[in-house]
Amino acid sequence: MTSRSARASDDEGDPPTVSAIGLTKRYTRGSHPGFVGRLLGRSAPPMVTAIDDVSLSVAAGETVAISGPSGSGKTTLLHHLAGLEQPDEGTVRFQGTDLGTRSRRQRRRRRLENVGIVFQRFHLIDSLSARANVALPLVELGVPAGERKRRASAVLERVDLGDRTDHLPGELSGGEQQRVAIARALVTDPDLLVADEPTGELDTATSRRVLELLSSLAPDRAVVIASHDRETLAIADRRVRLRDGRLDAESATGTGAAPGDKVVPGDPG
Amino acid sequence: MALGQLASRAMNTDRKRVLFTVLGVTAVVALLVVVTGMGLGLAMETTVYDEDVDYWIVPDAGGEDSPLVATDGPAFSDAHETATDLETHPDIEYASPIATEVLRLEHDDRSEYVLVVGVVSTPGIGEIVGLDAGALTPNDPFHDGDTRTGELVLSETGASLLEADEDDTIEIDGEESVSVVAVDDGRSAGGANMPVALVHLSELQAMTGGEEADLADQFVVGTTDPAVKDDLEDVYPQSTVYTREGLLATETMDGDLSLALSLTAFVVAISIGTLFVVTTMGLELLANRREFATLSALGVSTVSQFRLVGIQTVVLTAVGGFLGGVAGYFGVHLVNELAMAVVTSGPIALVSPLLIGYGLLAALVIGLVSIPILLAITRRLSRGAP
Repeated sequence: MTSRSARASDDEGDPPTVSAIGLTKRYTRGSHPGFVGRLLGRSAPPMVTAIDDVSLSVAAGETVAISGPSGSGKTTLLHHLAGLEQPDEGTVRFQGTDLGTRSRRQRRRRRLENVGIVFQRFHLIDSLSARANVALPLVELGVPAGERKRRASAVLERVDLGDRTDHLPGELSGGEQQRVAIARALVTDPDLLVADEPTGELDTATSRRVLELLSSLAPDRAVVIASHDRETLAIADRRVRLRDGRLDAESATGTGAAPGDKVVPGDPG
Repeated sequence: MALGQLASRAMNTDRKRVLFTVLGVTAVVALLVVVTGMGLGLAMETTVYDEDVDYWIVPDAGGEDSPLVATDGPAFSDAHETATDLETHPDIEYASPIATEVLRLEHDDRSEYVLVVGVVSTPGIGEIVGLDAGALTPNDPFHDGDTRTGELVLSETGASLLEADEDDTIEIDGEESVSVVAVDDGRSAGGANMPVALVHLSELQAMTGGEEADLADQFVVGTTDPAVKDDLEDVYPQSTVYTREGLLATETMDGDLSLALSLTAFVVAISIGTLFVVTTMGLELLANRREFATLSALGVSTVSQFRLVGIQTVVLTAVGGFLGGVAGYFGVHLVNELAMAVVTSGPIALVSPLLIGYGLLAALVIGLVSIPILLAITRRLSRGAP
């Protein structure tokens, strides 16, 4: 399955921003018995397959929504696309580069420079102001303090929080915290933005504002959103559905909606 | 950023935890400073530097014992003449030879052995073995050619055992009669319950046969100039010079032991302080494990996270160390006040502003020793996704 943008990229010979090819990830359920445990006859814990042979490409300018019930592997797939985890089988390519061939440090650097991550529960640093939270990636990039402040303030303005820059996360509402998290993800102007249940903790009105913001980001980058919320899925150019760690047949065969064929909010799709 | 975050935690989000960590270090360092101040004070005989300095000159052979109970050791000769020579020193206020003998005192039908101390009641001499020497007629009239005064100052314990009171007549060894001019409740250097008495030196010498060589067991010297100590050491070749309070202190604390005490206090304080910081900061890190995982997910390197934890640990322990140093400094003052009120007649602990710096230094050592453990915890916490 390829979107219009992805097809365009292929036609021009440019690789998609991120692509997963035959990804499989297994986790152990429970802890390993260890040397003593094995001597005492304890068996290894059972393995659970989180995602199974999943392939997905996302091109620049495309917004892809991953849906599926809880435990279907949405978050695991997002973490692999963002480079937070390494698959047991398959590969993840970022702008044509196989992340499996890169060191941990190189993957971290790529995350810092090219990937923005929005978590369901915001995961802001409670003791830092909104602006300091947004500026965190810039500190690591070595951006001078004045420039950090300017860029963080500009991004906060973009998410309508220009008057809340000095507030601590505890002084902000849930919607405002999520917008700070989005600002933090955008401050390095990443090529890929991944958002895990970005409206999962928000009320309806606040969700709409966050979704409007997310839908405005696609022209400049690839956006991948994991959600099972209809309105969130509705902003996507394309939707794929995970069930028990595998892509649905419809998703896998590429019959999902193409960019421009956005589903009207409220349509269950 | 580390300092900004720490300030925000201290004032907004983690006030109690930060305060708990700082106060923990403060308490440990304060105790360290007090114990160290006491140890150094006892080892260095701090009162040498005090305003009102008293020195004891004792023969080497009896140097390690309390001079007031060392009755059978070597003695000094020509005691009165030496004392007169010493008093010509411009920085010496008074000097008196001291002789001690255990004698049998009798009053009515009571008879007790008492430590009798012979002294020249030089004006300003104050207390000897806890008894007021000023109650005796000034100087040593019998030695100066006058008749015997027959005066005796008796400790309360001695008076109680002999059932004697002021103005009573007491016989010494069944021969000499003396009059009790004062009963003093002063404490004796040899033990709180030992019966002791003060008499003029020459009169004691006459009773014990020491008048011919003018023998004395030791000298007590009063001065306000610590530099006099060097001159005193030249008076008799085989003698040792102690401070009055130093002697009292050495009854309970040997110099080497004091330094060992200080060193032990340092090691124990570093150990306990490190355990405290590792525990409190470790709990703090565990409570914030999501933050470290978030930083890793965003691409912040482990080294940067180490730097964050390291800086905050050092700053927290430094603040605790400074506060502990100040608290310890005042604690040393308090110990000295208590000691002078209950145990000694002078301060026993070293008082110096350097103790604050020492507390700060100890806290920094605590911080530096704690950091590797905290970094290991940080490394574990920063793995995986939040």
